[in-house]
Amino acid sequence: MSHTIVVDLGYGDAGKGRVVDLLCAGSDVTAVVRFNGGAQAAHNVVLPDGRHHTFAQFGSGTFRGVPTHLSRFVVIDPLALAAEAAHLAALGVPSPFELLTIEEGALLATPWHRAANQARERRRGADRHGSCGLGVGETVGYALAHPDAPRVGDVRDPVRLRQRLAAVHDRLTASVGPLQAPDLDDVVRVFTAFGDVVRIVDSRHLDGLLRAGPCVFEGAQGVLLDEWFGWHPHTTWSTTTFSNAQALLGSAPARRLGVVRTYTTRHGAGPFVTADPALDALPEPHNGAGEWQGTFRRGHFDAVAHRYAVEVCGGVDALAVTHLDAPALVPSLGLCTSYDTGAGRTSRIPIGRRGDLPGQERLTTILRATTPAEVHRPDDWAGAIGDLLGAPVVLGTDAPSGPAALRSGPPHSGAARRTPERPAAPRSRAPGGRRGPHRRRRAAERCAAIGE
Amino acid sequence: MGSGRWSTDVYSAAENYRAATGRSAFAYSDGGARKVHPSLDPRGVTVRESRDSDEHPRSTPIAVLFDVTGSMGTVPRVLQTKLPQLLGLLLRKGYVTDPQILFGAVGDATCDRVPLQVGQYESDNRMDDHLANIVLEGGGGGQRHESYELAMYFLARHTDTDAARHGRRGYVFLIGDELPYDTVKAKEVRRVIGDPLTENIPVEAIVAELRRRHEVYYLLPQGSYYAGDQDILRRRGQLLGENVLQLDDLGAVCETIALTIGLNEGTVGLDEGLADLADVGSAAGATVGKALAPLSRAVARRGRTVRAALPRPGSAGSGSVRL
Repeated sequence: MSHTIVVDLGYGDAGKGRVVDLLCAGSDVTAVVRFNGGAQAAHNVVLPDGRHHTFAQFGSGTFRGVPTHLSRFVVIDPLALAAEAAHLAALGVPSPFELLTIEEGALLATPWHRAANQARERRRGADRHGSCGLGVGETVGYALAHPDAPRVGDVRDPVRLRQRLAAVHDRLTASVGPLQAPDLDDVVRVFTAFGDVVRIVDSRHLDGLLRAGPCVFEGAQGVLLDEWFGWHPHTTWSTTTFSNAQALLGSAPARRLGVVRTYTTRHGAGPFVTADPALDALPEPHNGAGEWQGTFRRGHFDAVAHRYAVEVCGGVDALAVTHLDAPALVPSLGLCTSYDTGAGRTSRIPIGRRGDLPGQERLTTILRATTPAEVHRPDDWAGAIGDLLGAPVVLGTDAPSGPAALRSGPPHSGAARRTPERPAAPRSRAPGGRRGPHRRRRAAERCAAIGE
Repeated sequence: MGSGRWSTDVYSAAENYRAATGRSAFAYSDGGARKVHPSLDPRGVTVRESRDSDEHPRSTPIAVLFDVTGSMGTVPRVLQTKLPQLLGLLLRKGYVTDPQILFGAVGDATCDRVPLQVGQYESDNRMDDHLANIVLEGGGGGQRHESYELAMYFLARHTDTDAARHGRRGYVFLIGDELPYDTVKAKEVRRVIGDPLTENIPVEAIVAELRRRHEVYYLLPQGSYYAGDQDILRRRGQLLGENVLQLDDLGAVCETIALTIGLNEGTVGLDEGLADLADVGSAAGATVGKALAPLSRAVARRGRTVRAALPRPGSAGSGSVRL
């Protein structure tokens, strides 16, 4: 089996965690690789026995004993990482840090980045971007301006670490004003302790993983929040398409799997054409209103926007559709296939030039004034979504710990790679493979045919 | 999408990393160490002491030593992640007064560089540091024998416990999948422990000597190379009678040890103990029940020395056993 890249074709929250967990439960996955975002990811996995974890910097295959590799494209937050590892240990994952490797080139998010991010969002008042308040974007912006931005590899060199952290503190204080953050000494100490515990590796580590067996690349956020193609400025400082993963893969082929819900959701500010308060009846156990992101909104399946996401990505080979139980809960829920922009009807959002942020901002203005034109309810949701987005649906799930079903779709004519049918058949692992003290559990999932 | 759900408090993060360092699987061993850590070196040790104090007036010494040779596969690493929970479990259940735990490891003195590693009796989480410093040699002789007899010799002659002064026995748990050699070899004792011993000692004699002051148990875990090997079980049975337990689920090692002690102390019966486990949400009940049923029958048969019953804590277990 080749590798799989999992991205969210919406605004995040589609269920990537669930999908990655199922992929890891159903076959022998070598590692889950993160290729964008940082600690603001929140991928919920609920096991059949009720255990629940919100995966932020650990990959969503952790419950299955699958190691996580955080690549150089991930922004690392050592403080949030410690809290997350402690929770995983409390849930019975024997040694969470043993399952983790981090590439030395990854940027470090610091408490000053976080404080500066929150101070800036407060000043925007009503014009908030919908940031998560964790300073991921601030960290990326700082690194673009300052080549000496602290990176994971620096924690092994106490002198350089202290210099670089002090520079973050000084520059951000100069730009934003006094920051609510812990002392430099405390941060140096805890970042050093982080370096003593986690395995920091160079770029060759990933090559070894890719050779060892199938890897699952777990995307964060969603394509509609992409830094270049999202509705600027309500975007994330991260490339949310397949491109980072493809850069990491080099010439190794991978199946591109897009994830959507049967309806569209959005956290935080920004245009959301199909938003409909009537859909608020749909349960959302794990996404409340964040202090920084604003409320969680629900809307009809926005086929126009999700198709735009597919085009921006350069196509997908297969789809996973989650929350297949939602249509039965809300009879008014439907698929939106065209927009009314005030200047006429359209079923396609044009793709701009990469890097043309003023163009993306004009798009944001248009979308704010746009309303759904056609909304209909299909009989076969998974089939209809596959047809609208032009790729076979190979995985369908309903409620977070409910049943999942796999089905093989017909080969998608546009797919340049082998037809995905189901996650790989289990490979036997060579004895002595570093698997740690984990026993893999098959997902005890009741498989039912979907959409039949 | 973000929630800011995980605390970014700098102090609790520091605490978590500190704890993880203590827990990080055999940090000393993984750092490439191939020599016994000074804190675990038996050579030249007069005694390992288990003392009463105002805080711990009725100390109960408990030694847990496990085989770290190659035939054990990943078992030693799993034990390292599980065993730190033993103290908390014993304290919560009140099966035994003032437990003091010593961790150690057994190799093969005929060919390993680190044939014996022995920590101290500790009544707090310092015992975890000893665990983390254990070298996993992964060697062994490939002949179904390890130097358990050398470990038993050390525990028989180099431990000094207040419990023994009051006529109370301590506990020794040996976890492994192989057999002791037939004799304690004087040459190995001189080399590894440093005692000027000139005569070999038959293993039966050293077992008898150790059992005067300690209850001795053998645990044979699944997942090791010789798990379920009938010869090994029979030979161990000859040495230790009913104190030989098979462990189906390594995850239940702490519960098995705790209940074994409770059964022996008479502070809990098997059914009650299994109910206790269920109370705290442990899924280890079936495994532990299977492992301990023979012992429980034996305890019932031979009767127990009458002891003043300990006050049992309320069955409302606070917290839960992590499995």
